[in-house]
Amino acid sequence: MAEPLLSVKDLCVRFPTERGVVQAVNGVSFDLEQGATLGIVGESGSGKSVTAKTLMNLLPRSAEVDGSVVFDGRDVRALAKSHENHFWGVQMTMVFQDPMTSLNPVKRCGEQIAETLRYHLGHKKKQAIAEAVELLGQVGVPEPAKRVRQYPHELSGGLRQRVVIAMALACQPRLLIADEPTTAVDVTVQKLLLDLLDDLRRDRGMSMILITHDLGVARGRCDEVAVMYAGRIVERAGTETLFTDSRHPYTDALLRSIPRIDQPSHTRLDPIPGRPPDMTGLLPRCAYAPRCRYAQADCLTAIPELGGIVGLHSFACFHPANTERGEAALTANLDAGETAAGLRIHPIVEGAH
Amino acid sequence: MADEKATHAVAVFDEVPEPFSEDVVKRRLGIGFWVAISWMVLITALALLAPVLPIDGQNVIGAGSKLSAPSLHHLFGTDSLGRDVFARTIWGSRVSLSVGFIAIAAGMLIGGPLGIIAGYFRGKIDAVVSFVFLSLLSFPSLVLALMIVNSLDRSLKVVALVLGILAIAPIGRLARANTIVYAEREFVQAARVIGAKDIRIMVREILPNVLIPMGALALLGMAVAIVAEGALAFLGLSVKQGATWGKMILEGSDIRTLRKGTYVAMAPILVMFLTVLALNYAGDRVRSYFDVRETAF
Amino acid sequence: MRFVLQRVGQLVMVLFAVTVITFASVNVLGDPLTNILGPLARVDCTDVYAGIKPDTSTRGGTSEGDCAIIAETRKEFNLDSPLPVRYARWVGDISTGDFGTSFQNQLPVSTVLKNKLPVTLRLVGIGLFFSLALSIPWALLSAYRAERTFDNFSTVASFGLLAIPNFAMGVILLYLFAVRWSFFPTRYEPAGIYNQLKSLFLPGLTLALPLAATYQRLLRTDLITTLQEDFVHMARAKGMPAHTIMTRHALRPSMFSVITVFGINTGALLGGTLVIERIFSIPGLGTEIVTAIVRDDTPVVLGIVVIIVTGFVVVNLFVDLMYSFLDPRVRRG
Repeated sequence: MAEPLLSVKDLCVRFPTERGVVQAVNGVSFDLEQGATLGIVGESGSGKSVTAKTLMNLLPRSAEVDGSVVFDGRDVRALAKSHENHFWGVQMTMVFQDPMTSLNPVKRCGEQIAETLRYHLGHKKKQAIAEAVELLGQVGVPEPAKRVRQYPHELSGGLRQRVVIAMALACQPRLLIADEPTTAVDVTVQKLLLDLLDDLRRDRGMSMILITHDLGVARGRCDEVAVMYAGRIVERAGTETLFTDSRHPYTDALLRSIPRIDQPSHTRLDPIPGRPPDMTGLLPRCAYAPRCRYAQADCLTAIPELGGIVGLHSFACFHPANTERGEAALTANLDAGETAAGLRIHPIVEGAH
Repeated sequence: MADEKATHAVAVFDEVPEPFSEDVVKRRLGIGFWVAISWMVLITALALLAPVLPIDGQNVIGAGSKLSAPSLHHLFGTDSLGRDVFARTIWGSRVSLSVGFIAIAAGMLIGGPLGIIAGYFRGKIDAVVSFVFLSLLSFPSLVLALMIVNSLDRSLKVVALVLGILAIAPIGRLARANTIVYAEREFVQAARVIGAKDIRIMVREILPNVLIPMGALALLGMAVAIVAEGALAFLGLSVKQGATWGKMILEGSDIRTLRKGTYVAMAPILVMFLTVLALNYAGDRVRSYFDVRETAF
Repeated sequence: MRFVLQRVGQLVMVLFAVTVITFASVNVLGDPLTNILGPLARVDCTDVYAGIKPDTSTRGGTSEGDCAIIAETRKEFNLDSPLPVRYARWVGDISTGDFGTSFQNQLPVSTVLKNKLPVTLRLVGIGLFFSLALSIPWALLSAYRAERTFDNFSTVASFGLLAIPNFAMGVILLYLFAVRWSFFPTRYEPAGIYNQLKSLFLPGLTLALPLAATYQRLLRTDLITTLQEDFVHMARAKGMPAHTIMTRHALRPSMFSVITVFGINTGALLGGTLVIERIFSIPGLGTEIVTAIVRDDTPVVLGIVVIIVTGFVVVNLFVDLMYSFLDPRVRRG
């Protein structure tokens, strides 16, 4: 197998705060092949955005980072220390959640795209603007020649996010990190933008990390999906495998909380009980255990490692769902009426009306 | 299709309460604040006790030489007439501090009520009062002070009151802005609903809340008044009798005195600097301690 | 556009109010006739004409002669009309460029202004230039490494600077750079542009330092806020270098507080010239107005106040226009 484009090993990120150390990312590892797309799914606070910001060298200075990030054979954290100039933006770049705030309000759209070209590729101003027009055309902005002279506030949310995408793609990066790229735009525009990203990625043979809290967004657009909880990857699999044969109870619960078109219209959605853990005081146990229907005594005494077949389907759970061991745990908990962590549970009535 | 629908369901469960929101960061005035207050207490005590302290009278021309360097006998040396600079600095603090105090008291007594009334009733009263404040602020304040002091007399009372007039607008605007904020709060609305009289609401409900930011501004304003008195004195139009810091700096600032007796100017400058610094710092701490800002225009 | 007109209207009202206050206070608090004629003004003409009082002339003429001078002066300076009429007449004169005649030396006030204004303008210009030239890079450096050594040192330094009154600052700079090490002249040297600029260096710095400290504080705070914005993260994700992000992305949206305070501070700035011109013996409007106030030279005082307040009004209009330059979103609003 060839060298992966991006290789993250044992990434840990901590933020010292007045309330204690926030353990935002706790040992995340993954590889990403050239041209592949990885979805990272999780709730807010699960560490997915912090992971992305670590890759992009965007963390505040107070953050303590451990582990290694290697991009195409280069140590990304060493590049950050040596103030490497033409790496971010050229090799690797990022698109943010809210197009309303990710464009500079006092600069014309064209200028914002052109400055990247001028800085990284040494284009002259005129040439850079011409290329900006070209790029805007490629991302489907109508009347690009007019748009380059407009300010961000003169454009709609969807157009702005296209401008942001054009800006990110200006220098033909090999990896694009999209952090919830469609959360802040109208529902009607979301699919268009996601399809656009997908097309652009294919055309350019670019790799992509798509960060989202929405499993549905990842489906059909990612080769693989990693589910994050409390700063760890708890399950990782090919997208279809994940949807049809999930193992981690958290993934399972996430899937159950999504309404599906192939289910009867009155199917009950099951919200996940409880709330995400306090990231300042993570205990040496499975962080999901207090909310988990499968939790047993062993979940409360040790942290499950990411196991299974790495590269195919891996998960971090002692009593995985859709396995004999997991079903036994669930049955035992249902009989007792509560889990080992004291969560009261009831049977889920499948397809209830 | 499924994608779009899914967004909503997950969004609901994604709305977790911020884990940190209920925590309040512990606030303190800090040791610097108490150092600043100690300095103010010390300088005020010296000013009050000047007549009984074992120092020269403010205009006593000593037997020693003129422009002599600092020594045990003359801590800050002597000025061009042979007067003890240390003694004069202490005597001068009497003027500076009382001017600062009276001016701010006057500014608060006039500006505070005006601002509260304007902010509470709004409408026409507010328009008129705000315009008066704006005009006062637009006026080159030092020029106004010079004109009034020149036309009346150069007594402590007049200088202090003139600087008090200048303090009206900034204090009044702060009071107005805070009143506007508090008048919208539930406890004031509640008082209105149960039919409390306006004057009662203003005194019992709003005043206590407005007093805190006004207190912070008063500390800063006192520093401004002390500096302003210094500027007036420096221009030859402050209190006629006796030593003041501004007058001493003026006397020490001619080229010959600067060259031969630098400390004649530098001693009062240092004391004034420390006093202004202490007031600024204390005011700043009080303000951030209660974290009130001037929000409305 | 309507907003601009509204602001202009408001500022004209301010100009009106301030001139009325000044006009009233100089005329009510002082007696202009005494100011013009000195002791002669105290001749009681009613009594003289009635023959009750003997000759009290100090000019060697008859009582009637003195009274004629008084009457003539009253007429010349419109002293007999009621105050509002005199104010209206004065405003009318000013609008034609006639600021009246100095009581002191009989020169037209407009000539005095023409001679003194350029020096003061130069001083203020240099002061403003220094204040921005110091505070902007200073704030950029502080905000870039916020709460690190340089920034912490800056906080202490600016707090210290703000606690030094301008006259004290002037005396300190004068002592250090003109008296002790004679880098600069101790008095204003009017000959040639080089000498003028050299003489205005220290006064300009005196004016600028406290302003620079104020602006640095404000700009630093706003920059730190701006640096948390998504578009700054975006610029970093595009790989733009730090200095480009600081100067080309973060600076402009962070200028609002500085610009606002810049407008409000203009009054204090012009007030500062009074003191600073005195310390450095600069023959500008500040020195002139202090002299005029002490000598009760009403027309000169009024003329200079008009200039100062007009300056304040113009600067604040300029500040309003700057808002829309700084943020294109304001332009449509």
